[in-house]
Amino acid sequence: MSKKLPILFFFISFNFWAQTEESFNLGFESNAQYYVDDQVTGDFTASDRFRSNSYLKAEYLVQNFTFGIQVEGYAPQALLNYSPQYNDPINIGLYYAQFKNDKLDITLGHFYEQFGNGLALRSWEDRQLGINNAIRGIKLKYKPTENISLTGLFGNQRVGFKVSEGELFGLDTQMDMPQMFKSENTSGSIGFSYVGRYQENESDNPDFKKLTSVFSGRFQMNIHNFSTGLEGVVKMDDAYVENGTLYPDKLFKGNALQFNLGYSQKGLGINATLRRLENMNFYSEREAAGNTYNELIVNYIPALTKQHDYSLANMYVYQSQPSLSFNPLEKAGEIGGQIDVFFNLKKDTPLGGKYGTKVSANFASWYALKADFISEYQRVDVGFLEAGEHYFSDMSLEVRKKLSPKVSGILTFLHGNYNKKYVEETYGFVKSNVAIAETTIQTSEKTSLRIEAQHLWTRDDKKNWAASTIELNANSNFSFFVTDLYNYGNEDTSHRDHYYLLGGSYSKDRTRIALSYGRQRGGILCVGGVCREVPPASGLTLNITTSL
Amino acid sequence: MNATQKLFTFLLFIFLQVGLNAQTSLPDLQLKDINGKSFSLQEYAKNKTIVFSFWATWCVPCINELDAISEEYEDKKSELNFELIAVSIDDEKTKARVKPMINGKGWDYKILMDTNQAFKRALNISSVPYVIIVKNGKIVYTHSGYTPGGEKELYTKLKSL
Repeated sequence: MSKKLPILFFFISFNFWAQTEESFNLGFESNAQYYVDDQVTGDFTASDRFRSNSYLKAEYLVQNFTFGIQVEGYAPQALLNYSPQYNDPINIGLYYAQFKNDKLDITLGHFYEQFGNGLALRSWEDRQLGINNAIRGIKLKYKPTENISLTGLFGNQRVGFKVSEGELFGLDTQMDMPQMFKSENTSGSIGFSYVGRYQENESDNPDFKKLTSVFSGRFQMNIHNFSTGLEGVVKMDDAYVENGTLYPDKLFKGNALQFNLGYSQKGLGINATLRRLENMNFYSEREAAGNTYNELIVNYIPALTKQHDYSLANMYVYQSQPSLSFNPLEKAGEIGGQIDVFFNLKKDTPLGGKYGTKVSANFASWYALKADFISEYQRVDVGFLEAGEHYFSDMSLEVRKKLSPKVSGILTFLHGNYNKKYVEETYGFVKSNVAIAETTIQTSEKTSLRIEAQHLWTRDDKKNWAASTIELNANSNFSFFVTDLYNYGNEDTSHRDHYYLLGGSYSKDRTRIALSYGRQRGGILCVGGVCREVPPASGLTLNITTSL
Repeated sequence: MNATQKLFTFLLFIFLQVGLNAQTSLPDLQLKDINGKSFSLQEYAKNKTIVFSFWATWCVPCINELDAISEEYEDKKSELNFELIAVSIDDEKTKARVKPMINGKGWDYKILMDTNQAFKRALNISSVPYVIIVKNGKIVYTHSGYTPGGEKELYTKLKSL
């Protein structure tokens, strides 16, 4: 008891101290699954049919200080295909103390940060993907004036309940120019970053340094209706790694270039992005290169393609190819771009109809960076703006229309080319077309019905698929759905499988509870441009999120 | 007492405390607007009623909600005396689509960019759409998810404040 008393006093004292300037907040999330044997997804052969991932984050704020802790539980073990590093039934995942005023912001402990576009550094969390690469150390942000900010950081990157062997040093400066050339309609910013990774090595090669540096410069400008931005990154010599094996004599530099140009006015928006990546993977431990759990990644290089919302549109998803590799396939990086167009056909025009029509289109195309692999592990000559093997392209059109006060609909068409051989390092090339129609009918003030029909045509891979979803929203609290994906075109008639899922959710104020039962297709689960392998599985899933 | 029991005791205390002091204030954060201008949440929310709607360009129900509100925004804004700020949680993958999308759709909202999701995290939001109503700097209403007609409930809530 004597040990608990000080804690008790500590907490009680909070209530008497600076009432107006303090607050607590708490966030809780739990994702639990009970796996069952299934004739399509197979018998569950691993241990522990019931598994759960839970997160409790507590923050105490008093005047300029914030104290936080995140407790994570993987009990009895983590959900299938999460990193084995998440191996504790309950443990402290993150802790931090922060002081912040108008000019200064100091964090001790774990923190998240992003420099520029993230090409040099991004630490972040995505629980669905099992990513938490927070940096544990110290971060200092200083704003000498309103428009200048300086950030310095030092620490090790989180991996499971441990931290990386390599240490990260980061510096970032950004200058905002809210009014350039004394014009109201013109603004811009420039920034520079440095990120260094220091990791011991036991090599005789004098050129193989313990410190690997990344430099980045960027600018962004908005002039009237136009906006443009450019970021360039250089990575100094980094040792080549293949399947976890380090080659201390094989050193390669890397670089990245990203350009963006947009135009928008009321009712029309266009944006184009081009990117070139060469040997740009960057890990806080060299040997972690290429790991399947997305662990220890220092920078953030998502695939720049449209993020689709529908299941069949997400059947063949591109993953960015920033790495240099000699085996099993020769790759030096990627080059490509995407363009987005959004426009609004006005009300009371022939195409707009009574309620107007909203149209959006996206075209994305990505290629291998053309390179001559002159000698294995030795020399690669890379072209500057030359494209090689076609990796992926995706053309999509979406039309949204309100048909009457109670009925609205969305039509989506998609044509995709997916180089499975290069993206997944297996074999095959998939050309597909997808059409999706969805309609929402409001049946009363609070209830509505959403019906979705999808079809995927392809002569490759597993051939045609059909899918459908019916969703009933009883009111703003209760919602129920049933969905089925049917691989009816599979040439192997014994694998013309259904992947059904049914469930419901309840949400009120700060709480949401969702329950579902069914089959999950194995494959790649992507959230925000990062993907991870998920195994085929069947069972009952429960998600709870709440906050106070 | 083993370590796990201690931890649970500690968490129990936290729970009790939270019951007494639930989070009602906006976090002290500076976000950038769509043109890169800095924007202080606490300062802006003083003496106003603001609806913060967390959304992303890839989230269909989020867009449905913002489309639905957009249709009557002019009228409701003056009738109920509030402002809607749409907080985009798009990261580097999709961030560049935000500006053309809001223009293409003709939305009149102020847009804030929560690119590394500091605002989202501070409010313990795990999925979008997610709406909060802030009155005079205090969070007075929260709702996660959107179903058609949900905007009516939001207006009713705003009327009752």
